Amino acid sequence: MRGGGERMNAHVPEHSQHLVVVGHGMAAVRLVETLVAGGWVERGNRLTVLGDETGPAYNRILLSAVLEGVHDERAITLRDEDWYAAAGVTLRTGARVAEIDRGAREVVLVDRSRVPYDRLVLATGSIPTLPPVRGLVRPDGSLHPTVHAFRSAGDLRGLLAALDDPTRPVRRAVVVGGGLLGLQVARALGARAGRRAVVTEVVEGADHVLSRQLDRAGASILARDLARLGTTVYTGARATRLVASPMPEHAVGVRLDNGHVLATDLVVLTAGGRPATALARGAGLEVRRGIVVDDRLATTDPVVHAIGDCAQHAGRVSGFVGPAWDQAVCLAAHLLAGADGGADGGAGAAPYPGIREVARLRATGLDVAVLGDPEAAAAAGGEVVAVTNPVTRSHRKLVVRDGRIVAAALVGDLARVGLLTQYVERGTVLGPHEPGDLLLPERRTRAAGPADLPDTAEVCACAGVSAGALRACGSLDEVRETTRATTGCGGCSDAVRALLATRTPALTGGNA
Amino acid sequence: MTTTHCPYCSLQCGMTLVREGRALTVEPWATFPVNEGALCRKGWTSTGLRGHRERLTTPLVRDRAADGSRGELRAASWDEALDLVADVLSRVRTVHGADGVAVFGAGGLTNEKAYALGKFARVALGTSQIDYNGRWCMSSAASAGLRALGLDRGLPFPLADVEKADVLVLAGSNLAETAPPAARHLDRLRARGGQVVVVDPRRTPTAERSDLHLAPVPGTDLALALGVLHLVVAAGAVDEAYVAARTTGFDEVRRSVATWWPEQVERVTGIAAAEVRALADLLIGTARAGGRVLVLTARGVEQHSQGSDTVLAWINVALALGMPGREGAGYGCLTGQGNGQGGREHGQKADQLPGYRSIEDPAARAHVAAVWGVDPTSLPGKGRSAYELLDALGRPATDEAPAGPRAMLVLGSNIVVSAPNALHVAERLRSLDLLVVADLVLSETAALADVVLPVTQWAEETGTMTNLEGRVVLRQRAVTPPAGVRTDLEVIAALAERLDAPSTFPTDPEEVFAELGRASAGGPADYAGITYDRIRAEHGVFWPCPAPYADGTPHPGTPRLFADRFGHADGRARFLVTTFRGAAEQPCDDYPLHLTTGRVLGQYQSGAQTRRVKDLPDTGPFVELHPLLARRLGTADGEVLTVRTRRGSMRAPARVVETIRPDTVFVPFHWVGANRLTNDALDPASRMPEFKVCAAAVSA
Repeated sequence: MRGGGERMNAHVPEHSQHLVVVGHGMAAVRLVETLVAGGWVERGNRLTVLGDETGPAYNRILLSAVLEGVHDERAITLRDEDWYAAAGVTLRTGARVAEIDRGAREVVLVDRSRVPYDRLVLATGSIPTLPPVRGLVRPDGSLHPTVHAFRSAGDLRGLLAALDDPTRPVRRAVVVGGGLLGLQVARALGARAGRRAVVTEVVEGADHVLSRQLDRAGASILARDLARLGTTVYTGARATRLVASPMPEHAVGVRLDNGHVLATDLVVLTAGGRPATALARGAGLEVRRGIVVDDRLATTDPVVHAIGDCAQHAGRVSGFVGPAWDQAVCLAAHLLAGADGGADGGAGAAPYPGIREVARLRATGLDVAVLGDPEAAAAAGGEVVAVTNPVTRSHRKLVVRDGRIVAAALVGDLARVGLLTQYVERGTVLGPHEPGDLLLPERRTRAAGPADLPDTAEVCACAGVSAGALRACGSLDEVRETTRATTGCGGCSDAVRALLATRTPALTGGNA
Repeated sequence: MTTTHCPYCSLQCGMTLVREGRALTVEPWATFPVNEGALCRKGWTSTGLRGHRERLTTPLVRDRAADGSRGELRAASWDEALDLVADVLSRVRTVHGADGVAVFGAGGLTNEKAYALGKFARVALGTSQIDYNGRWCMSSAASAGLRALGLDRGLPFPLADVEKADVLVLAGSNLAETAPPAARHLDRLRARGGQVVVVDPRRTPTAERSDLHLAPVPGTDLALALGVLHLVVAAGAVDEAYVAARTTGFDEVRRSVATWWPEQVERVTGIAAAEVRALADLLIGTARAGGRVLVLTARGVEQHSQGSDTVLAWINVALALGMPGREGAGYGCLTGQGNGQGGREHGQKADQLPGYRSIEDPAARAHVAAVWGVDPTSLPGKGRSAYELLDALGRPATDEAPAGPRAMLVLGSNIVVSAPNALHVAERLRSLDLLVVADLVLSETAALADVVLPVTQWAEETGTMTNLEGRVVLRQRAVTPPAGVRTDLEVIAALAERLDAPSTFPTDPEEVFAELGRASAGGPADYAGITYDRIRAEHGVFWPCPAPYADGTPHPGTPRLFADRFGHADGRARFLVTTFRGAAEQPCDDYPLHLTTGRVLGQYQSGAQTRRVKDLPDTGPFVELHPLLARRLGTADGEVLTVRTRRGSMRAPARVVETIRPDTVFVPFHWVGANRLTNDALDPASRMPEFKVCAAAVSA
């Protein structure tokens, strides 16, 4: 199965493999970290990472937090160049791959240089989709100067520069796309730490926001929260054209398909992405929505793998980091096992179990968590247990199948989100009442007040003193002297004072 | 009237023992600073074991038939028992080599006993196979403290400094129940306007007295610490000047937490992202305002297969905020056992010689060998850690491992109750040719022994303990021991004599302490300048306390460490990268719940002492679970449940409480049962077993 031995350097052990990773995003970094920790390089194998962005790898999840000003931009770097050097991994940034020559087992860069591989991993991520809005793209192919994508650190830097440009103050922004990213960006713009907030409007083509994750009931609660926070949402409306601003103090106008024009200084495109599959398609690998992979994350060429946003497993693609990391760790186990065992290609390692998503909106003032895919799970026959309370602005919905919570959507009330995530991810089998009980408010029964305690109840744990013994005392000094209550950890002091204060007159009579 | 210290936990509360006629009662010792006269009910009732009908006063010997089958224990004379032990140990050593004999000590032994036991193992037996139950106590914190700070002393400051903190984070500590008098400091801290944070899967009495309580899934504490550091870095709240001047290694740690954003922490730990942010905001705000942040860890986060990593990650948080070395700030470990601190400093740990010296350091070996009057080359090397030692007992050699010991001497430990995977450990103990246990009563472990040696208890003997602060205190003999018992020091000396050991084995504790001082001189835990008289005069002395200066001025001892430099040669603390792996055993369809274990106020450790004190509540074990889980299982408070894990099962009544995570059950470990369930997966650095989490099934 292993090929290309004749290209190896003489000093490299015969079993050595050269693994090339195309992409330098979060899936690629997790794969490399796991391979390095598992001894891939130590065992004489080589590892090369080709990234088309020029900077170090960073945590894409945190870009909106940097935009909001609550996260130091320097602190999103995942691994710097020194780490790769120390780990014995070759990192080539700014290296754009033009094509894959599967016959020769070589990757061809745009400068026509070639990188040979024994195994190849495509972690090419996704490409932001440009919505069909006329005027977005100028004749030279560049975006209109007020228009920004929001996918990469470069996009973020451009957006921050525009926001901080004193010559063109940004007072209004339009976010195209009401999905997770769109809402995060809208809230980040509206809540920028230490800066003047930007009045932000969101345009969403579907009839409600977060249409992939939420039903209408949940989305309507969310939309009201957004309105309360000053973000207007236009649903069922598509941006069709960039036009001149109807108001002179703003830079541009966004015409909607209902004829309305939104005056704005900035347009941010967050209308989703699609798997970056061009390389795979060009190399003749099977591609549907994403690059099709099997349970070992191998494409139709067994020495070529795909992980992360670009991959399609069991008919599904994911745009979330959780599945991307799971895939990276799973593939690393296969590669390490394959490097040990040779021919089986790591068949001994556990197969990839499939995509499990947890979508958590990182947006100040908005509480939304979506576990799995509640809409699809409900459509597939799952039993729905839901509580919607428009008065308290909360919506919680659990989709249950065979006693397990397979998906959940929580809006406005994240009580028990941690526990529900555990139940969904671990597939815990619950009792028949439990999904309903989980949606009830968490009760915290207060212990009975000291006055109500029976004489036998222990009040001071340190000295083992009962309420009755304390009631027999006339004063705090007497309590200390005769029972030693309150003298240990001191935790019962309040209860003892309360007990003394509520003694019946008949008992206190003589001492009062 | 005798001033002394409580027989139980690491606070070593001062107390006065008063004799009136035959009665011995406990009275406060108000001027001793650690507890200021306060005690918990264990301390108040600590004389309750005196004159107990189960007290052993004669050695017991179990005869074996020719086919090796075991008879009943019978009374024997000391000479018969000691001759038998010495005879079998010599034979085992001849047939199986010196490592055929093992020694198992305890964190409850005085410094003198721990020292003498380590010396006995290395000199009289020549075995490397010595370790102790302290390995199951704070070894994860010890390992992390050594690596990060260059020195391991539980608290690098007096306990009362806790009150000076503005924010105190208690990671995995329930001190209001496990060390109640220490909880007074929490109340004073809060009365001053400070805040207390408790991290514990249960809302314990300690958590009830906190300002913020986070309840992680058992086994995920490391992820929380990584997430807190992530937010500190994200907020630009790192004390860069401190990091540059006093530490190394931060850059790689800074990068390593970039993947631990709050929602990711929520997914792993089950703690809502908002609560993770609340904790980080509290620490960041306090540090920015020039306030003091103090992190204290305890068994809750340490007794895991990633326990030492979790401690390292919390130390990283404290260092990033610029706290260690400031008064009332930094990092410390709340040691558990009475002499958990001193017990790990004087040579009963597999890799150590007295003075917290490494047994693999040639200079340390030469120094200690000179004090002992033996050839340094005669000292064995590093042996197995506690659990690995027990797991190896009676095993033949394999391709991977040499043969395990065939005989073992146990002092001060009730292994079959306190070891993880206890059914397996009991089976290993039964495979021995000879098991010798020295104890006060016929503990569950003594009941398996071939020879049981009755020894003195606490108020009947004198010796030093080193409490959780690194303060060396003196327990003083208050009463005459019953006829027929001997001190551990006398037992060690008698066996050494029968084994023709080189060197000497004095039985007077003060004499042993003086020798310990010489052996520790120049080591990290230097006791050379400490004497019994000084301890009496000064309410204890903090190590390091080297010998008096050349002009005769005594060294004052060291209440506070790290003010100017850390323990590493370059004086800097180390930031160390940790990677979250999670608990060794995760819930599955067959074992769907997390099981965690811990203590209750009225009992101590394996309960060998406290279960026999009639004034302490002996409730028996119970299974704490949440009402949601109780309804799932169709059970109710008080009904008997069966808890099963891959290693064993137990039955105990349900205690339905709202103070525990619904995905977790809790069982106290003072009774037989809990440790039949626990997992023996070990922390790779500290060799700490994963007592605090495994996968379990519970049924009505």
